[in-house]
Amino acid sequence: MTQLPYAIDAETPLNPAELNVLRAQYEKEGDMVGVQTKFNYAWGLVKSNVRADQHLGVMLLSEIFRTSPERRRECLYYLALGNYKLGNYGEARRYNDLLLEKEPANLQAANLGTLIDDKVAKEGLMGVAIISGVAVAAGVIGGVLLRNLGRKR
Amino acid sequence: MAGANDHNAFHDDLGPDDESSIMSPRGLEAFSRKVTSTASHLIGPLSDPTTHPHYANAMSEVTRQLRKPTLQRSMFSMARTTPTDLVRSKLSSREIQSRALSYVPEELLHNIPEDDNSYSLFQGFKASFPELTDEGKKHRRRVSRGRKMIEDNAHTSPDSPHAVHKLKKEKSSMMHELEMLEIRKNMASSEIHEIDNKIANLAGMRKIILERLAGLEQEEALLEHDIMDVEGRLEEAQEIAAEAESIALQTPTKSEEDLAVEKDEDAGFMSQSIYEKLPPSTNTTPSKSKKPRNIRRKSMPILHEHFDPGTMIREMRAHQDSVTALDFDAPFGMMVTAAMDDSVRVWDLNAGRSIGVLEGHTASVRTLQVEDNILATGGMDATIRLWDLSKAHYDPHGSQFGKDDEEDDGMAFENPDDQPVDPPAGSMSDCALFTLQAHVDEITALHFRGDVLVSGSADKTIRHWDLEKGRCVQTLDVMWAAAQASASVSTGEGAWRQTNRAPDQTADFVGALQVFDSALACGTADGMVRLWDLRSGQVHRSLVGHTGPVTCLQFDDVHLVTGSLDRSIRIWDLRTGSIYDAYAYDNPITSMMFDARRIVCAAGEDVVKVYDKVEGRQWDCGAGIAGAEEGKTPAIVERVRIRDGYMIEGRRDGIVGVWTC
Repeated sequence: MTQLPYAIDAETPLNPAELNVLRAQYEKEGDMVGVQTKFNYAWGLVKSNVRADQHLGVMLLSEIFRTSPERRRECLYYLALGNYKLGNYGEARRYNDLLLEKEPANLQAANLGTLIDDKVAKEGLMGVAIISGVAVAAGVIGGVLLRNLGRKR
Repeated sequence: MAGANDHNAFHDDLGPDDESSIMSPRGLEAFSRKVTSTASHLIGPLSDPTTHPHYANAMSEVTRQLRKPTLQRSMFSMARTTPTDLVRSKLSSREIQSRALSYVPEELLHNIPEDDNSYSLFQGFKASFPELTDEGKKHRRRVSRGRKMIEDNAHTSPDSPHAVHKLKKEKSSMMHELEMLEIRKNMASSEIHEIDNKIANLAGMRKIILERLAGLEQEEALLEHDIMDVEGRLEEAQEIAAEAESIALQTPTKSEEDLAVEKDEDAGFMSQSIYEKLPPSTNTTPSKSKKPRNIRRKSMPILHEHFDPGTMIREMRAHQDSVTALDFDAPFGMMVTAAMDDSVRVWDLNAGRSIGVLEGHTASVRTLQVEDNILATGGMDATIRLWDLSKAHYDPHGSQFGKDDEEDDGMAFENPDDQPVDPPAGSMSDCALFTLQAHVDEITALHFRGDVLVSGSADKTIRHWDLEKGRCVQTLDVMWAAAQASASVSTGEGAWRQTNRAPDQTADFVGALQVFDSALACGTADGMVRLWDLRSGQVHRSLVGHTGPVTCLQFDDVHLVTGSLDRSIRIWDLRTGSIYDAYAYDNPITSMMFDARRIVCAAGEDVVKVYDKVEGRQWDCGAGIAGAEEGKTPAIVERVRIRDGYMIEGRRDGIVGVWTC
């Protein structure tokens, strides 16, 4: 049995009924909620495709991280995963690298690390393309305007 | 909508900045730096200040770390994350907020202990998740049903390859289930662990709040003392004002000249009249000593209710000899103790010091009762004396706060071996109300309620007194009643029974009494408990059961509890007259009392035996428990009283202990 889920697991959302069960359990326990229940709900939220849910999930995970030191190491991975899903690659890398530093042989973390790198590279390329496109367009427009001005003069 | 507007506003503000950086040919590095710096300006006040070092860190780490990977990545080595992420994290207030909430500070990241958990959170999730959903339940049901089918199949065609395959599958699923169960087991145990930790935390919080409560009560006491002070001064001032007024009324009768001439005399007159009138007002016992009593009712101490049961509140050396009787009016109120050394002492339980000594009995007091401010004592000198404790000259706070130097040592009672500090002589001189004399032998038991007082004596009679008139109303002859009972009832129930043992000379003839309106219960040396009707003077019920002299009894509206030298406690049902419950200890019971929850007994041990009626639990409370650990042997507890979980016990060596119960 695997100790940690692979990143692909986080991409398969639970159905709303399942998530509701987890939420009900979490709310039932109120202030004295146990770590496992909290995690169950947080993990269900992270798996979701709704961005607000993911945010809440990451928040709960960071709460677990803060309150239960014995779960911190595991939580690093989930925080990395959650932030990766949110697209916060900086945070995700921060947590994941820390975990890899402690557990260099951790397959799931290594996998997540490459995923983050790929995403950053891909979106970075796209970003450059967009920015350069904007720059070219601005240049063209600027040129046209300049030429017009020149003509008017 | 506001959020959207904010978003736009940010955009507008940033517009020129962004454009300039994009337009400029300095490249993407500058762009990202610019955005980062402006954004950290923006989120600076929102998130905690550690963000700044964090981002600085992140940037430096990025360059260090991304130098090694592939060419493709090194293209964007200046950015640790994607532009979309960067923009989003800096521009949307929602995003910033959620980031701030889920941000984990650097110091926590450095403090990651080795985990020795028996299961991972994910395993816990997997294990608990199927349970949580209907689908999971169905799945389980299917599995168990499947198992049955498999079994059936196994019976019909055991050697088909299909069956082997199915069995294998079944085995693996069962193994999986076993694994799940193991994890769930671990989950449960770790949850119990968590709860234990929480309980420990709560206990800590409780302790802190208990200390706060103690502080508040202390403050309350101080403030009440101040109030009392002010009230006293107010009263004095009012009296002086009234005095001045009466003088002013008198003076106009005299002529102006006379007045001028007699000015000096007048002053003398005035001061004299004040002098004459004031002493009673400053020294008068009723007004002055009633104040502390009134004051005390303004606030009830509740601290002891929150102590753990069995906690010692205080211990004091009350007497040099065995305590024969004690009682108190309310938790942290007034206590009266009597001992074989013939003295009767009054105590302030709040301060733990002696208020005074009651003088009057010529022999030692065997029994006493305190109700509100009224104290009744019955002694070996065959007299019953009544006292009004509110007339004591006592300032409950005076010496505690060092106001009276002469009484400054009054607090020195924390150490039970200290010599009792003598209170000022004559402090109780005004307390005596009157004396009831009619018995011809020592008083062994008494009880009063309202105006009715009953007393039992070694002269084998019980007397019924009217406290309003101060005289004996009727005399009940126990032996006569016993003889009547044996004559009228052939079975002899209610007759005086000779106990199985040799008659115990030390046992009191009337061991205990309690009266309620016209109902009187008395326990005698023959082990009988008789219920009398005071209107007819007849015994209307006899409770037979004890095989030794009855030493103590108490009843409420339903039950009557008796303790006897036969070592047993019996609880009777008053409605049916039958026994309701009974239990026994190792030694004769010398004293017993109950409150709403507990029955406490002195049973010849150095601890008080407590029976918790609600939980049905027996436990010990007293000095003997701690003493056993320290190798000391406290004296045997002789008398015990309890009110609202506040218990006092008097021992054979004269020490009185106060406990929560």
